[in-house]
Amino acid sequence: MSTLLEAQVLSLKEVKANYPDVSPFVILKIDVQRRGVVYTEKAIAQVDPRRHLTQVRGIFSVDGEKNTSLPVSLLLRDGTTICVAPNAPGPHTPYQVDFREGRLVLVDGEDVLEEVEFFLRPDFYDQVTRRGTPMWQVAAMVRPQRIDFNPYGNCHFWDDGKGCRYCNVTAVYRKASRESGRSLKVHPEDVFDTISEAIKQPGRFAYIVLTGGSIPGADNRFSEEVDVYIETLQALGRAFSTPRFPSQLIASAFPTDELERLYNQTGLSSYTTDLEVLDEQKFAWICPGKHERVGYREWKQRLIRAVDIFGRGNVNTGFVAGAELAKPYGFATEEDALAATLATAEELASFGVETAQTVWRPSQGSAFHSQNSPSLEFHVRLARELYGLHQRYGLRSDMDDYRRCGNHPNTDLARI
Amino acid sequence: MAVAFSPEFVKSFNDPAATKVLATVDGEGIPHVVFKGSLHIDDSGHIVLLELSEYSETNRNLVRSIWFDHKVALNLRTSDNRSFHIVGKPERAIIAGPVFERYYQDIRARLGDVDLSTVWIIEPQSLVEKGKTAAAKANEGRLPLIHLDRIAAVSTAH
Repeated sequence: MSTLLEAQVLSLKEVKANYPDVSPFVILKIDVQRRGVVYTEKAIAQVDPRRHLTQVRGIFSVDGEKNTSLPVSLLLRDGTTICVAPNAPGPHTPYQVDFREGRLVLVDGEDVLEEVEFFLRPDFYDQVTRRGTPMWQVAAMVRPQRIDFNPYGNCHFWDDGKGCRYCNVTAVYRKASRESGRSLKVHPEDVFDTISEAIKQPGRFAYIVLTGGSIPGADNRFSEEVDVYIETLQALGRAFSTPRFPSQLIASAFPTDELERLYNQTGLSSYTTDLEVLDEQKFAWICPGKHERVGYREWKQRLIRAVDIFGRGNVNTGFVAGAELAKPYGFATEEDALAATLATAEELASFGVETAQTVWRPSQGSAFHSQNSPSLEFHVRLARELYGLHQRYGLRSDMDDYRRCGNHPNTDLARI
Repeated sequence: MAVAFSPEFVKSFNDPAATKVLATVDGEGIPHVVFKGSLHIDDSGHIVLLELSEYSETNRNLVRSIWFDHKVALNLRTSDNRSFHIVGKPERAIIAGPVFERYYQDIRARLGDVDLSTVWIIEPQSLVEKGKTAAAKANEGRLPLIHLDRIAAVSTAH
């Protein structure tokens, strides 16, 4: 049963037919992320909490705290990841995951679309650190080949209410600390113990990602935030035999000297600072704290300068695709949004910075929670055009690709 | 599955002395052909390829094939010089999980400090024996190509 919103735009089938040069797996992934997913009773009966991932304690979502058995995200048979929280409310009719003829499948109405798998629970998940912390609570999230740590759970742009309007980090943190006693910081020794245990499982992990809330500080230099990451990365580094290890930090736009400090004192291999919204006017409205304390243009400059430190192919930026259409001050049409976004993406590409598209789905706990999200066709066109920039400018997506991240349709397309 | 391999065929295919070649096609239709010793048939009758390199042309072409439903081709030359042509489709790209981890450990035990990108499962769709004997059988009833100088009577030869 489709909503009025869905009746006005091209369906999944129509988009696949109109864009035959875009992977149908990636088109499906985008639509599942847009519309969300619910699990039938038969699908839930297939969940084995001893094998499947049903618990995460990340900064954007917390699942399975009370041992509920819903799977955290999905994997398609071509290796494409679909990061999607189970049963999260939204403006669109969600897809279903069902169990039919011995397989887990994605279903839309009467149509069986694709086979899916649940994410698997890693071996370390039931272990406890020397400090007595359950390791599943130290690792913020695990994906099929990636492990995340969120060393700092709150975002201080929200201290004066100027956090990013699509973001629910602070709401999630406050709820989690109230309901399950989640602490603000993750202890570096817990991180060391957890990664040491995690990498005992051969072939399980190929990448580490760190992210957390912003700590601008009174002087807007983010020095305390840098300190947190240096401490965490140094703890991680002790687990490896090489000076640098496959890793990504997604963090605030640090001043160049702070970024150099971070690079020189740790084994971090890549850096992302999310521009979030690729238009200055919309950025100022949607990310007021970031705009006030750093500014759109300076954020962009810091991102570009980071290439001189980390090297081409090791710096990128993410954006929340579709948030720039939010009402009342967003772009009036999808065409306008596409044009503006792609213009900035091309500018960044000319400096060797790739732009990683994240499909925006209005989140509970965010200021934009009641907004509508753009059409499937919008996201598919965006992914295709960004992939075109990738090819034209000879960019590399390795640091944020299908395996090391799996949350960006345009970098999925770069597999070929 | 369209093709069910006989136990004898599986044994020949999995023989370490056999030669196996895989052909894939890129976005411009250009074929890419590689020798792939890791190709084998598993207990379920699927063709399995262990692709070690994340960024190889083969890996990219296989992704393209699974995305856009294109076929791939394999040629097997057995240790007793028989030749087989298999056409198939990549059905699954396993990049994580217990199957991946098992093959990851196995390949590292065999080859040392290497990495594993993808375990490809290829669904066979046709199997045809090639080579002179097979060709002769396949061409029974056809008018053979014989250049006339080959069958000239001795007295007419210069």
